[in-house]
Amino acid sequence: MAEITTELYRKKARDALEDDTLQGAIAGLQKRLGEGALAAYGNLPEGPDLRFVAHEIREKAIGNLDILLERLAEKIREKGGHVFFAETGAEAVAYCLDVARRHKVKLAVKGKSMVTEEIGLNRALSAAGIEAAETDLGEYIIQLAGEHPSHIIAPAIHKTRAQVGRLFEKRIGTPYTDDPPELTMIARKALREKFLAADMGISGCNLACAETGHITTVSNEGNIRMCSTMPKVHVSFMGMERVVARLSDHEVLFRLLPRGAAAQSMATYVSYVGGPRQPGQTDGPDEFHLVILDNGRSRILADERYREMLCCIRCAACLNVCPVYRKIGGHAYGYCYSGPVGAVVTPLLVGINRASDLCQGETLCGACQDVCPVNINIPRMLLELRAALADGDRAWDVTRDSIGEKILFQAWSRLIGNRRIYDLFLRLSALGQAVLPDKNGMIRKLPPPFSGWTKGRDLPPLADRTFIRQWKEMNHRDP
Amino acid sequence: MKTYSLDESTDMHDTKQNRFLARVRQALGNPVGRPDPFAPDPGHSPDGVLKKINGRTLKDYAGLIKTLDAAAPSLNLKVVMLEDTAAAAISLAALVRETETEWGNAKSVVAWEHPLIDSLNLADALSADGVPVYVAGLADEPDETAGRTAFRKRVEAAYIGVTSADWCVVDTATLVMKTRPGQGRSVSLVPSIHVAVIGMSQLIADLNELYTLIQQDAAYPFEGLTHCMTFISGPSKTADIEATLVHGAHGPREVYIYVINGT
Repeated sequence: MAEITTELYRKKARDALEDDTLQGAIAGLQKRLGEGALAAYGNLPEGPDLRFVAHEIREKAIGNLDILLERLAEKIREKGGHVFFAETGAEAVAYCLDVARRHKVKLAVKGKSMVTEEIGLNRALSAAGIEAAETDLGEYIIQLAGEHPSHIIAPAIHKTRAQVGRLFEKRIGTPYTDDPPELTMIARKALREKFLAADMGISGCNLACAETGHITTVSNEGNIRMCSTMPKVHVSFMGMERVVARLSDHEVLFRLLPRGAAAQSMATYVSYVGGPRQPGQTDGPDEFHLVILDNGRSRILADERYREMLCCIRCAACLNVCPVYRKIGGHAYGYCYSGPVGAVVTPLLVGINRASDLCQGETLCGACQDVCPVNINIPRMLLELRAALADGDRAWDVTRDSIGEKILFQAWSRLIGNRRIYDLFLRLSALGQAVLPDKNGMIRKLPPPFSGWTKGRDLPPLADRTFIRQWKEMNHRDP
Repeated sequence: MKTYSLDESTDMHDTKQNRFLARVRQALGNPVGRPDPFAPDPGHSPDGVLKKINGRTLKDYAGLIKTLDAAAPSLNLKVVMLEDTAAAAISLAALVRETETEWGNAKSVVAWEHPLIDSLNLADALSADGVPVYVAGLADEPDETAGRTAFRKRVEAAYIGVTSADWCVVDTATLVMKTRPGQGRSVSLVPSIHVAVIGMSQLIADLNELYTLIQQDAAYPFEGLTHCMTFISGPSKTADIEATLVHGAHGPREVYIYVINGT
């Protein structure tokens, strides 16, 4: 399993707020990619409404997931590929290690894959004495630094060029430079040697096609093509939901995916991989393995409140518009999935109580849904999670997050349900607020147990006369 | 730790798969009578798209070339229009003279075994400069393994890879290649410069035309997408360091599309 630090959300969020580099980097990224994605949907012939078509395609795929996965496996086996169905992350890891052992693998090159982060594959490979080299430039930087990705598609966004320069100087031994083209060339050279020497290539899967029996990989760098072409074995990992039925469905999703992910109308490389090298061909791997992973996804599938989340294709568009992600960055979310998608997926995978701050930290502004290439209603699911935390939920083993809060809100609901009691409350509060510390006419501090409310904000005082009273007076004057 | 080996019986894999799929079905509420998810959309016909493609005039192709030209600069892709294959060979020879190797090897070129590429007679065109052209096939070697080893050495040493493509989508400047014998995937990936030579009739407008053509192509019923179909839109790039765009991350640093007029 990947390291889970969802309990440290508040602390890590506070640290991120102090980090000026991070604040600047994410603001720049969001401006370019977030606003860019919305503009890119605008230049589709169908306009942004194509997202609704994509949503239907994904819902249909999820509703037929068993049929699609069976067809996908059958088609890949027809082309000589192997397919392994893994119920848990541990099973997926064990299978990969077994393939690696059979081929006496010393060095594996990896394309960026969140699902392999989820199952902690790198750590397992390295414990088995196999070097697993990340090859996406951002992931490579993160791996050299011994950190975790902070963004699904821009994993090293929190690093400055000077930090990367010093890191390369220390870890690769090249002279210091902070010039991005020079740094890229250093990585290009170092990783080319690895691509050509590796015994195994490991990749994720952006979206499989059941009808033809192919996984697809999408990249701008070409590293995933290297991983899937040069080593003698290619192992690809996919979450079980990452499949659509027909090639014609791919057309719609591939017009949207690069727009959502990177404000591009097309990524540099898209590969449909459906098996190992065929007889008579000059290159490609001897063996191709596809590992299809459940790891808690069937539980999400079984609950209609959250099933929609399986439509997600992990493009990270929602991270690029989220006002919360913008301020706290990816590490605060404490798991490989960050931002709005992480705020829903992570609790469902690691435990709703354990990740209780994630859904409560989001603002429900809805920007994530507006930019989502498959129009997933993330705010609705954030509310479902909050409701589960407020009321408890046996199906997900959720205990109430705060009993006090529940009692307080129940009391409040009684109070505002009764006109006379509410009026009395207002009158008493108007009297009481006079003794509270104020600043420029705002209430600075509420007494306990409400003090948390004014920790980060001032509160406007109650008006001298209530609205209803003002209304009555107005109507009296001007019938 | 429990391990899963291919050497174990396939029965075990079948059982695992069945259990996995049964769990998925159960999570879906064991639905019955679902419509076929693979059925084509009602009322959808490829005829309109095919008619449009087949009815293209020279003037229409000039329009497609204009779109390709417009898409290329932002991708750092170079589009070269050429009168015939002889002109293409001359242009490639000039490219070989003007460019340097990246990894310090002597200059060499690796090219697909493909009717259009064959007709360029590249070996002759580059012989004056003493630059060898290797064909991406297995033909010269005693067996496949030896052939592949020899090919791999050549592709790693080459600094220019020459391919053709099945189609080129002009609106995104995307080359589409299936994988066939003699047309290795690494030729468009490992050398520092990739030159794709295509005929004008291989230009198509957009992804909608592409996905329609793929499925209506005469080869589709027996070869499908092949075991690997690749889309390439310009040279390799990254923006992973401070979001600064750099070309040449892992794949080719330069990509040229040579379009041969009237073919």
